[in-house]
Amino acid sequence: MSIVVENVNCSRKGRSILHNVSLQVLAGEVMGLLGPNGAGKTTLIRLLSGLARPDKGQITIQGEDAAARSVAFRRLLGLVPQENNFESELTIEQSMLCYARLYGLPEPAGQVKAICERFRIGEWRQKKPDKLSGGMKRRAMIARAMLPDPQVLLLDEPSVGLDPDMRQEIWQLLKGLQAEGKTILLTTHYMEEAEALCSRIAFLRGGQLLYTGTCADMRHWLSPQKAISLEDAFVELSHGQLAQEVG
Amino acid sequence: MLRGFSAVFYREMQMLISRIGGLGYLFSGLLFPMIYLLAFGWGLGDRVAVAGGYFAYLAKGMLAITVMMNGFQQTALSVSAARFYYRNFSTLRLSPISDSALVFGIALAGTVRALAAAAVIFLTARLFFGLEILSLPGLGGLVLTAFAFAAFGVAVGLSIKGQEQFSIIINFFITPMTFFCGSFFPVANLPEAVRQVVQFLPLSLTNQLLRADSFGESSLWEAGLLLAITLCTYAYGVYRVHGYREF
Repeated sequence: MSIVVENVNCSRKGRSILHNVSLQVLAGEVMGLLGPNGAGKTTLIRLLSGLARPDKGQITIQGEDAAARSVAFRRLLGLVPQENNFESELTIEQSMLCYARLYGLPEPAGQVKAICERFRIGEWRQKKPDKLSGGMKRRAMIARAMLPDPQVLLLDEPSVGLDPDMRQEIWQLLKGLQAEGKTILLTTHYMEEAEALCSRIAFLRGGQLLYTGTCADMRHWLSPQKAISLEDAFVELSHGQLAQEVG
Repeated sequence: MLRGFSAVFYREMQMLISRIGGLGYLFSGLLFPMIYLLAFGWGLGDRVAVAGGYFAYLAKGMLAITVMMNGFQQTALSVSAARFYYRNFSTLRLSPISDSALVFGIALAGTVRALAAAAVIFLTARLFFGLEILSLPGLGGLVLTAFAFAAFGVAVGLSIKGQEQFSIIINFFITPMTFFCGSFFPVANLPEAVRQVVQFLPLSLTNQLLRADSFGESSLWEAGLLLAITLCTYAYGVYRVHGYREF
């Protein structure tokens, strides 16, 4: 098991954000975290990365406690946050060199060059982030996260705001990483993204985990009699009667 | 314990070098000390009786203020902007660098920044007013002060909940020290009760060290106290980084 979330509760200013969430992600699996806005997806990503701590429960990644934030834990993990957070003053290459040094990579310049070529951002690496398109920034952020070759990659809405072409490119990148055996957990609002990439999905609503399983099983669970789309299933689980019953 | 601080220092210096091209950035930290130096020097120069002349006295005071303001303000602003605006403090926090090395790297960069600004003030004062070369206690005092306030800047940058809280620190800590800690007039001129408190504030110690010709019993005691304050602000910075959470 690569990621284990056990009975995690998290609140802020007296408001419960996550309630008794338990989840497991297998090594080499791509899992999608779905749910309406405010469901607690980003909070769960922050807890998984060790940037926030749960009030109760435990999160481990390959046996390393996220709350303890050991050096071994931090080396296991790559995080691609929702927003572009490159240093605005630096070029992509300079930012990546800083990142490589932070991770103590033996040959920062060579490794940065190699990852830029691998993720096809070589010709853009001398530019500052504000000169890049949204898609190029996302690609560069994934490349930066993969620079120290982490085993687990967390992505918070990796293709949000991208045009369909660029979204497909991001999917191809992620499929390539999955083929290398990386464990990937991503949040998304795009149902086609979940279906294209994720072997399993977890559905959060109001801080509670309502469903874990495959996309097909979720559709069948919600509508055993007739075939429905994942988007219909999402709406039903977010707002429908079943959501009230399960919730 | 401090392993990896050079990577943090390298990142901070890369950003400093890219910012320094902006005239606003370069001069913002120098403007106030320069105005004080010229206004008070020309306005009061021949009316304030201090050993060695008022220009020399004031110029050393401006060095102390420059180091304090640049060390604290630029570091605190940089850290808080990385949290609230650029949202890239998390890249430091997620990297396998210890909290103590992280603070050391940022504070060291703040120290370099503050000393560079002080060097400009020193050269100006030497060129126009014939300021003498600084003594060893004076140099040591400037380095310790720069580091202490830069480390305090890290702690404040991580503590404030918004930029508006920053002005509270400036108004209640930095501004009173600017005017009462012996930069403009000797602390001995203050009422006895006030003097008893003010003489132990870090900027008073810096001013005392700047005016000492060599290490004697008094300056050793002042340097020791300033070192203790520096260690305390560093420890406070590490404490704030350790407790840092992102929501």
